Amino acid sequence: MSDNKKKQFFLARWFKRMFMGSSKEIQDLLKEEQVQTPLKLMAQNFFKKWTVRVGLSVYILIFLFVTIGPRFFPLDLSDQDSTLINLPPGYNMMKLPEEMNGKIADIAAGNTYGIGLDTDGKLYTWGTTRITDKIDIADIPEEVQNADLQMIAAGADHAVALDANGQLYVWGNTRLQQDKYSNDMTKLMKNAANGKTDKAWDIIQLEASNQFSAAVSSDGTVYIWGNGNTADVKVKKEHQGKVAKIALTTDAHIALLKDGTVAYIGNKAKSTTVSNIPKDLKKATVVDIAATSSAVAAVTEDGKVYVWGNATRGEAAIPEFTAPVSKIYGGRFHFTALLEDGSVVSWGNNKYHQTEVPASLAGKQVESLYVNAFQNYAIDTEGGVHTWGLKGFLMGTDDLGRDMLTRVINGGAVTMTVGAISVIIATIIGVTMGGLAGYFGGKVDILIMRISEIVGGLPFIPFSMILSAVIGSTMTSNQKMYLIMVVLGILSWTGTCRLVRAQILAQREMEYVTAAKAMGIKEITIVFRHILPNVLSLLLVSMTLDFATCMLTESTLSYLGFGIPLPQPTWGNLLNGANNSVVIQQYWWRWVFPAVVFGLCTISINMIGDGLRDAVDPKSNGR
Amino acid sequence: MGKYILKRCGYIVVVFLIVSFLMYSLYNLIPNDPARAELEPLRQTLKPQEYEQRYNDLRAEMGLDDPLIVRYLRWFGLWPDTDGETFNGVLQGNFGYSNLYKRNVIEVIPDPMSNTIFINIFSTIAALGITIPLGIYCAVHKGKKFDQATQVVTMLGYSIPVYITALVFMFFLAVYWRIFPVMGIKTAGIEYANNWEAFTDKLYHITLPVIVMTFGSLGGMTRYVRSSMIDALSMDYIRTARAKGLREKVVIYSHAWRNALLPVITSILGWFLSIFSGSVVIENTFGLSGMGRLYWQGLNNNDFELVLAIQMFYSIVSLTGSLLIDISYGLVDPRVRVDK
Repeated sequence: MSDNKKKQFFLARWFKRMFMGSSKEIQDLLKEEQVQTPLKLMAQNFFKKWTVRVGLSVYILIFLFVTIGPRFFPLDLSDQDSTLINLPPGYNMMKLPEEMNGKIADIAAGNTYGIGLDTDGKLYTWGTTRITDKIDIADIPEEVQNADLQMIAAGADHAVALDANGQLYVWGNTRLQQDKYSNDMTKLMKNAANGKTDKAWDIIQLEASNQFSAAVSSDGTVYIWGNGNTADVKVKKEHQGKVAKIALTTDAHIALLKDGTVAYIGNKAKSTTVSNIPKDLKKATVVDIAATSSAVAAVTEDGKVYVWGNATRGEAAIPEFTAPVSKIYGGRFHFTALLEDGSVVSWGNNKYHQTEVPASLAGKQVESLYVNAFQNYAIDTEGGVHTWGLKGFLMGTDDLGRDMLTRVINGGAVTMTVGAISVIIATIIGVTMGGLAGYFGGKVDILIMRISEIVGGLPFIPFSMILSAVIGSTMTSNQKMYLIMVVLGILSWTGTCRLVRAQILAQREMEYVTAAKAMGIKEITIVFRHILPNVLSLLLVSMTLDFATCMLTESTLSYLGFGIPLPQPTWGNLLNGANNSVVIQQYWWRWVFPAVVFGLCTISINMIGDGLRDAVDPKSNGR
Repeated sequence: MGKYILKRCGYIVVVFLIVSFLMYSLYNLIPNDPARAELEPLRQTLKPQEYEQRYNDLRAEMGLDDPLIVRYLRWFGLWPDTDGETFNGVLQGNFGYSNLYKRNVIEVIPDPMSNTIFINIFSTIAALGITIPLGIYCAVHKGKKFDQATQVVTMLGYSIPVYITALVFMFFLAVYWRIFPVMGIKTAGIEYANNWEAFTDKLYHITLPVIVMTFGSLGGMTRYVRSSMIDALSMDYIRTARAKGLREKVVIYSHAWRNALLPVITSILGWFLSIFSGSVVIENTFGLSGMGRLYWQGLNNNDFELVLAIQMFYSIVSLTGSLLIDISYGLVDPRVRVDK
C-alpha cells in the first residue's frame, strides 16, 4: 500500500493534497503533535461540518450576486414599459427558426415576438407570442397557413398578412377592432377574390402598430383600420391617391407623398407632436420615412436625416454618417439606418442594446433590414442573418414590464443592507444595555430588564407595522428604508441584551475578573475591555442568526406593504401581490425567482449561524 | 405565590398604562381633524363666519384642544367627557368608532376574532401533535440519519418566510392539483342548509392555511423540544435511572420528558396566546377575515381607532402571556423561586 503511494508522481500528490486534503495518516500524525489555539480549534470545528461549507459558499455567491450585480444591472426606479409586461424568462425573442435559414422572404417583428415568411410561403413565429392566456400569435389560423402569402406585418398584439389574391388576414388579439376593415376595403377584397385587378387594391406596403394597421396601394391610396379609440385611424380625403409610404407610431401615422414631401394626413394633427414637420424639410425631397413609438424620421434625397415628434429617448441624437443614408427604419425607441455603402447605423435608446450593431456585420453588404420594437434583423448579401436588440429576459418581467433579474439583484441589495444595519443597531443597543445591566446590577438592572421585557413582549410584526404606518406615512422611499432599519433595530435588541447580561454575570465570577479587580482596574474597563471580548464569539453567533431574522422581518413587512414601498424593490415587496392564482400559475417567474434566491440566502445564513454556534460552544454540539 | 401574582398584576397594569399612553400619543402624531371632517358636508351651505363658529364649537365639544394627557385619560375612561359628568372610554366598553366599517369597534371585532380562534386552535393542536413526538424522537436518536434529515427540514421551516411557504403550498395544493381553494373563508355566494354544512365548508377553506401555519412553526418548535430533551437526557439522574434497570420508555417519558417540559412550556404558552392575535401574514395571504387581516385593513385605511383597539388587545394578550408563563414556571418547577 505505502509502496504504491510512493510511486505516484509528486505533482499529482501535491495536487491531491491541495484539493482533497492530506491523507488520514498525516492528519492523525499532526493532530497528536500540534497544540491548537482555541481560535484554531473553533475554525476547525466550524469548517468540519458540511452544512457550514455549503451554507458559506451559497451565501458568498448570493452576496456577490447582490453586491456586484447592481453595477451590471443598475436600477431605474421610473422604468416601466407597457409592451413588455409579464414576459416569461428566456432568450428567444430574436431566435429565428432553423428551417428559415437562407430562405427568408419577409420578417415582421412585433413587440416581443417575430413572424417570418420564407420563400416557400410558409409562416413561422418565434419569441413570446402569447399575448394573453387565450390569445397566442403562434396559433396561426388554418386559412393563413394555407394562403399564398405576399406580405406580413406585426403589431403590438396582432399580426396582419396579405395573400396573392389580395385577401387580408388578421389574427392575434382581435377584440379591439384590429380586424375591422372599412367598407371600401371589404368591397375591394371581394373584387380581388373574384379575380378583378384594381390599382386601388394593389397593396405595396403593409404596416401594423399598436392595435391598428395600415396598407398603401400602388395608386397612392391609404387604408387604415383598427382601434380608433387610441389611434388616429382616419385619413383626410385630399391626400388619398398621393401617398407613397406610411409610417406608424403607437397612436398616429405620417405619410410620404409621391411628390417627395412629408405630410400628416390624419385628422388628429393637433393632438400629436408628429404633425410638427420641420420647416427645412419642406424644401427638400424626402425619399424615406420611419417612425418610433412617438417620433418620426425622414431621409432626404441627399442622405440627410431629420427627426421630429416626441423624441425623448435619444432618437433625435443623430450620429455622423460615413455615407449618405438611403433607407431608414424605426423601432420602439430607436432608428436604424441603411447607408448607401451597405453598412448599418442605429441610434436612440440603448437600454436593450438595440443600437449596438454587431461586429459580425462589419464589411458585409446588407441586403434587407427589418426593425421593430426592440429588435433588428439584418440580412446580408450572402444570406446570413444578423440580429441585435432585445433577446429576452433571464428571469422574465413583472406586471409593469420591468426586468425581474434587475429587481431581484437590487432588491437583495436593499434587503441585505437593511438586515445588516438593523442588526448592527440592535447589537449596539443590546450590548450597551446588557453591559450596563450586568455591570451596575441592582435598580439599573431591574429597570433595564423590565424595559427589555416590555419591548420583547410586544408583538413584533403588528408593532413594526404600526410604527412604519404612523411615522412613515409621509416619507419617501429612502427615508422609509432608514426608518425600517431603526424600527427593526429598536425592536430586536432584547435578545442580545439578555445574552450579554447573562454572560457578564457569569464571567464576573471567573478568576481573571477577580485578578483584574485585585489589580485595581476600573470596573467599567473590566466589563467592556476584559469581559466583552470573551462574550464576542457568542455575540457573533447571535448576530448571524439575528441577521437572517431581520431580513425575514423586513421582507415580511414589505410583503404586507408596510416596509419599503414600491417601486424600490426588496425581496419582500417583489412578492407583494403574488398571492393570487393567476400570478402563481401563469406568471410563476414573478414569485419563484425572488422566493428561491431569498430562501437560499436565509437558509445559508442560518446554516452558518448554527455551525458557528456549535463551533463556539462545544457543549451545544449537535443541538 | 399569591403575593407574587398580585405584584405581577400590578406591574402589568402599570406597563399597560405606559404602553397604551405611548400608542395613543403615537396616533396623535397623525395629522387628523375629526371636527373638520364632520363639518365638511355642511361647508357649502354655511357662511364662513358661521362655519368657523360651528367648527370651534365642535372642537371644544370633542375636546380636541385639551392637553394630550387629558385626551388620553378621557379615551381610557378615567376622565369625564367634555360635559364634565359622564365617563365614556375603554373602561366603559367604548373602544371608538371604526371609519372603515361605519360601526363601533366593539361590534366589528367579534366576527374576525372567532375566525382567528377557529383557525389557530387547529394549527396549534396540529403543530404540537407533530413537534413534540418528533423532537423527542430526534433527541433520543441523536445523530442518526433521521435526526440529521429532520434537522435540515426544520432548518428550512424556520429559514423560509411564511409567505413563501404559503405561495409554494398554494401553487401545489390549490392551483396545480386544485385540492383546496386559493382564498377566502367560505365558498362565494353559498347558502348553507344547516350548521354542519357551514362548519365543513369553513373547515375545507382553512385546511390549507392550517397546513402552512403548522409547517412554518415546525422548525423552531421541534428544535426547541429536541435541545431541551437532549439536555435532560444528559443529566446524571437519567444515568441513575438506566443504571437501576428501568425500561427505556420509562426513562424517556417519565424521567427525561418531564424535566424537558419546563422550557417547552414557555413557547407552548406563547402559542396559545397567539391563537387570539392571529397571523397577519397568513390571514393576508389567504384572504381570511381574522384579527390579523382586520388589523392590516385598519392600518391600510387609516382607521386608527380600530387599530388602536386591536393594538391594546395585542398588548393585553402579550402581557397576560408573560404573567401566565411566570406562574406556570413556578407551578411546574418548584426550584424556580418566583417570589424572589
